[in-house]
Amino acid sequence: MEPLLNTILSLIEAGWLSLLDYLAAHVLLCLVPAFIIAGYISAMIPKEVITRYLGPRASRWVSYPAAAFGGFILAVCSCTVLPLFAGIWKRGAGLGAAITFLFVGPAVNILAIAYTGAAIGMDVAIARIVLSISFGILIGLIMAYIFRDQEALRAAEMEDSGIFDHGARLQPAVWIVFLLLMAVLIVGTLQVGFLTATWINLSLPVELPQGLASALDRASLNPQGALLILLIVLIAPVAYLGLENVLEKFNRWTYLVVIMVGATILFAAPVVETGSLVFGITGRFFGELILLALIGVIVARYFERDQLASWLWETWKFVKQIFPLLVLGVFLAGVVKMLIPGTLIQSLTGQNTILANLVAVLFGVFMYFPTLVEVPIARMFLDLGMSRGPLLAYLIADPALSLQSILVTGRILGRQKTWAYVSLVTVFSVLAGYLFGIFLTIV
Amino acid sequence: MLSIKVLGSGCANCKKVEQITQAAVQEMGFQAEIVKVTDYSEIMDYPILATPGLVVNEQVVCAGRVPTKPEVTTWLANAALQES
Repeated sequence: MEPLLNTILSLIEAGWLSLLDYLAAHVLLCLVPAFIIAGYISAMIPKEVITRYLGPRASRWVSYPAAAFGGFILAVCSCTVLPLFAGIWKRGAGLGAAITFLFVGPAVNILAIAYTGAAIGMDVAIARIVLSISFGILIGLIMAYIFRDQEALRAAEMEDSGIFDHGARLQPAVWIVFLLLMAVLIVGTLQVGFLTATWINLSLPVELPQGLASALDRASLNPQGALLILLIVLIAPVAYLGLENVLEKFNRWTYLVVIMVGATILFAAPVVETGSLVFGITGRFFGELILLALIGVIVARYFERDQLASWLWETWKFVKQIFPLLVLGVFLAGVVKMLIPGTLIQSLTGQNTILANLVAVLFGVFMYFPTLVEVPIARMFLDLGMSRGPLLAYLIADPALSLQSILVTGRILGRQKTWAYVSLVTVFSVLAGYLFGIFLTIV
Repeated sequence: MLSIKVLGSGCANCKKVEQITQAAVQEMGFQAEIVKVTDYSEIMDYPILATPGLVVNEQVVCAGRVPTKPEVTTWLANAALQES
């Protein structure tokens, strides 16, 4: 009994430690703004900004890039991807552009990219964007070519319903706040001298009680990390009270949650050494302070209450939908890491070979993970010794292909086209990982 | 009687649309039948590009976003006017 209990306890500890690692300051500095930006895009930027370039009369030179970049604005929520995909195919720019959108959409959304950058590395995040977009366009073009005869027949009987023709005009303030929010994200994560440098050292005039200090040490937490986790835990109930009915009315919890989230971003910016109470106030902190103040002023001056309400609601919706699964995924990834022998991962995928990339891709197809959870899973593989090429192959294939998405796509497209799509995605994901791996050895 | 359909696979926004519509119907004291359409092929029969969608008497009034209650009230009133 005793050994079993010890094993279980050490597994729980491993899961808990990986959770703490993910709630650390540098991850929060990217995840919190990323959720806010995702909510902002969803609420404030109308889909017509992109969809009017995806209509049946759009030139190929416009529709394919629009479909590829459209994921950034349209596909933050996976539940909107499939109707849009079907719409683009049946009434819009055709099979190729629709396939491009289907492939790129889940991969290039702001949450996935920001999170990949913070948890795995900017090299993989940038490769994920560049290779997803270019290979997405390529796969779309190949599909359109393979099925050109069927598509020509279909185009003849397609009616022009005009739903793609609506344009959208946005106030300049919407774009300005969007850019400022992106700046919050970038200032929070960019590793450049004047942002990371410490300008002032603030020493807290209190001392931690001995017991608390050693408890934090054992969990390898510093006081900043502990307070951030406390903030996150406190935000959860306040957000529920303040945001669940925000579309109907604002209450005092609504204002409180906005202030607390701002405080989290600011509080995550300083650097604190483990075991010390000295807060190094970095350039990051000042940068975030200025940006948040600017956003506050512009929002108060130019945004209407309804706009603000739907921004808050969309953000809360994403948090509710994604964050609990993410926490669970991170915990389980920590546990599983203890159970899988590193030698197995290393022998299968430790080298950047075609076979290793294929193994990584097939794993991504057969395992289904909810949005964003692919990132901690990838991190787990990286820690266990997976090479960065197969890692990227996995990250590209996993959101695009799962048994579930293959089934749904099959219902919309039919079996033949779906299998062609699945094979193409497999081949190109393997290729993407392989090329990225080779690229890394050259530079 | 108004026929109202909420199009969506069951994500948080679709539930919100249903909630808001229900509240608007009750407030106005209309007779209305609210149906949730969750099947993709049925949803795609309507000219919308993104869920959630709101359909009043087989006319799509809103798609791809959550409308405000005053908006829904206006659409319902218009549809009721056309009926009578």
